[in-house]
Amino acid sequence: MSVANGEISREIGDINLAYMLLAQKLVKQDRVAAMFRLGVSSELADMLASMSLAQIVKLAASNFLLCSFRLNEHASMSAVVGEGKDTMLQQAHMSILMSARSLQTRKTAVAA
Amino acid sequence: MTRKSVLGEVREVQLAIQLIQLGARLQFLESEVGLSRERLIRLYKEIKGVSPPKGLLPFSTDWYMTWLANIHSSMFYNMYQFMKIHSDKEKVWILIKSYKLYLQQIAAQDSEPILDFTRAYTMVRFFDSDMLQLSTCCRCSGQFVAHAHDHKSGYVCVLCRPPSRAGKARGAKRAAAGEVAALGIEGMGFGVETAPGGTGLH
Ligand SMILES: [Zn+2]
Repeated sequence: MSVANGEISREIGDINLAYMLLAQKLVKQDRVAAMFRLGVSSELADMLASMSLAQIVKLAASNFLLCSFRLNEHASMSAVVGEGKDTMLQQAHMSILMSARSLQTRKTAVAA
Repeated sequence: MTRKSVLGEVREVQLAIQLIQLGARLQFLESEVGLSRERLIRLYKEIKGVSPPKGLLPFSTDWYMTWLANIHSSMFYNMYQFMKIHSDKEKVWILIKSYKLYLQQIAAQDSEPILDFTRAYTMVRFFDSDMLQLSTCCRCSGQFVAHAHDHKSGYVCVLCRPPSRAGKARGAKRAAAGEVAALGIEGMGFGVETAPGGTGLH
């Protein structure tokens, strides 16, 4: 049991590290496009860009996944995945839903 | 803009080159770039190897409502909106940026761009002049390009309710090919529009 738990923690840490490094690479390449792809605010994008490798590694070694599920509504999820949809259409649908989600995040951030 | 700085002119030329490479029409270049028509034509010839196509842009809002076009238009406009909110650049640069992002997305999906640059620009103008709107699908909550003043409640998008003929993968490809062929557009689609009955721009 504890062995399995240790393995899960390590897997989470691996994903966190890969995710953080990718996110930082994206932000450094093209800030606005990265914000679009990652669904993060400009403040968070700037923070990601400025993090050192040591900071990233420290943050990644967590028991919690740092990337969250972006299709967090059952209705949207089943609309995209459902009924054996063609890959191209599925990708297009995903793109449209993700854009709206990124905007919503921004709007609530502005409103707050 | 009577006397332009050398640097300003370099920027204009760079803008024109980007736009021509993306497939912008001459009418668009003239309205967005502060260079003479003659210089724009020369640039166009140098980059494309041919003279810019003549003729007006008889685009209608109806094109954006056809099945595959609506999917691509909605993808693009969502990106454009995002860029507009998060970028402090000029509108034309936002247009270029979001169009490139659209092309990237299409390449990642292994499919062909259906929305050409001029159509993307025309769509933005239609939105600005309140002829198009984004309607929210009541099933997937995605936002899709729709005619302005369409009733918004109970709207179901083209992806949640695809037409039966286009429901399958092969059907989609055929429909896309058919649409492109019908418009006489090759590849990236910079050909002269021949579709009749369009609501002219301007
Ligand atoms: Zn939908």
